[in-house]
This record gives sequence, structure tokens and C-alpha cells, in this order.
Amino acid sequence: MKKTMLSLAMVLASGLLFAQKKTTTSAVISFDATTPIDALPKAENKTVIASLDTKSGTMAFEAAIKSFAFSNPKIQEHFNDKGWMDSDQFAAATFKGSIVNLKEVKFNKDGTYAVSVAGDLTMHGVTKPVTAKGSITVSGKVIVATSEFSVKLEDYKVEGKAIAAGKVAKEPTIKVVAEF
Amino acid sequence: MKRYKKWLLALGVVLLAGAGLIWYLYTLKYDDTATIKADYTVNALDFINEFKKDMAAANKKYSEKMVVVNGMVSAIEMADTTANIKMVDTTNGAYIIFAFQQQHLNDAKAIKQGEQVSIKGSCSNGAFSSILETEYITFKRCAVNK
Repeated sequence: MKKTMLSLAMVLASGLLFAQKKTTTSAVISFDATTPIDALPKAENKTVIASLDTKSGTMAFEAAIKSFAFSNPKIQEHFNDKGWMDSDQFAAATFKGSIVNLKEVKFNKDGTYAVSVAGDLTMHGVTKPVTAKGSITVSGKVIVATSEFSVKLEDYKVEGKAIAAGKVAKEPTIKVVAEF
Repeated sequence: MKRYKKWLLALGVVLLAGAGLIWYLYTLKYDDTATIKADYTVNALDFINEFKKDMAAANKKYSEKMVVVNGMVSAIEMADTTANIKMVDTTNGAYIIFAFQQQHLNDAKAIKQGEQVSIKGSCSNGAFSSILETEYITFKRCAVNK
């Protein structure tokens, strides 16, 4: 009886541990808004906060806008200006959503699983529903989530002169890598 | 005719100067952080407390400024192809995180957890994370301060 109780407790404890929300403070989000006439508008933020709940499939990201690092100081300045991301007013971009096909992902079995994630992306003070394809790679205790998608800047009311002039892509590509 | 030539020459000079300025701005790169003079030198825990006390004032003071932070390394987080260094206030979970400049990445990877270090970088900003329910301060283009 005692052995059964102990086994049951261990199973429950391991289940609870595995169901814990996993977080990282070093997820990477990069975006590429380059165009044929300007190769500079691309940047990377390596200090994004992300969470993944392996039980419910919910995912969340928080990216500080000022943490996007450009190679060119002028472009970085423009990016944070009112004409583009206005980072003083809208300090972060966030995503809250969940894995649509969670049943197809075996978090306790090594492998790479194709996923579809749906949720709300808030950027520049505007929240819009988004759906993105990606993958979840399970390798022992490490889970890596990746996705690549694009957003229409006009949907988020990002409408600077550089965009109108064709120096910044109207639909930048966004790549997300989060290791939990 | 002479006047016409002068105007043409002036126009040429202006166009050349304009093209030079555009080229300069287009090819401009951030300097190596190791060579830049810091605006502030702080202790990690005091720095975190300053942000906790008044986030807006601290952001106004430090955002996009070059800051040297002295403190103990709580964690080294491997991030995709890079490595971030973290200093955490263990009493409340608030933290500072440093993303390194490409040329200083190997220095970051050599740092050990628990080590006392001095890191210089561009302070991005501080914020409250609703995911972690704590304050955090991010740095970019960092280098080990030697």
C-alpha cells in the first residue's frame, strides 16, 4: 500500500514538474525589413522573455523595442523614433497565444514537431490576431521553439517616411528562436 | 560662360558633399564598446533598486547610455548562437541581462557563474515583465570591462 502511494506520489510529482511553465530570458527575435534599395533595416533582440506551458500549449513573448540591436546607429535611432516604432511610448512588443496542434507534440519524446501557433501580437500599441507556422524540437530536457513569419507594418500603424520611400519593407520577416 | 561654369562647379561640389554624407551615414557602424568611455559606473544590486524605485526616472537617466555594471554573475544563458550574462537580485527575482557585441562573445562564454565581473554596455531600458512578474533591465552591445 505504501509502495503504491509512493509510486503514485512520484508520478504526480514528475507530472507536475513537467507541466510547469518553462521560461527563458534569452529568446532571440530578429527581423529583416531590408529592400533592394536599403540593406540596413535589420536587427536582433537577444534578450526576449518567453514562456511555454507544455500542458496547455500556451506561449508568450515580451520583447523590449529598445533591445533590438542594429549595426548602424542612424537606423537604430530612426527605428526608435516616433516615425517608426516610437519606443518611448510603446516600449515592448508582446505575443500571447497557444499551439493549435498541441496533441501532435510529444514533449516527452525527442523529435522535431511542426506546429501552428495562433494568438495576439501587440506592437506599436496595436493588437492583431496572428497565426504562424513553426517547429518545436525536443531534445532531452531542452525544448527549442522556432518560427518565421511576416507582418504588415500598416496593420500596426507603423507608417514612416522610410517605409513610403521603399527603404523599409512593408512586410518584414520576423524570426523567433526560444530555447527552454 | 564663366558664371555658368562657376554654378556648375558649385553644384558638383554640393552633390559630391551630399553623396559623401549619405555614404558616411550608410556605412556608419557602432564603435567597439571596449573603446567607449562609460557615462556611469554602477553596482548591479543598487542599479536594480534604482529601477525598482522609479522605473521612468531610471529609464530617462540610463536608456541608450554606456554603463559599467559591477556584480556577480547569476547565470550564463546560451541564446541561439550567442550567450547572455545575467545578474539577479535573489531577494525578488529582478535582473539585469547583458547581450554581447559579436567581437566580445568569446569573453562572455568564458565567464563563470558566481564570478564577480565588470560589464560595459549600452543600457536599453528597464521594464516590468508580466510573464515573469518582475523587473528587468536589458543591455546590448556589451563587452567585459577590462
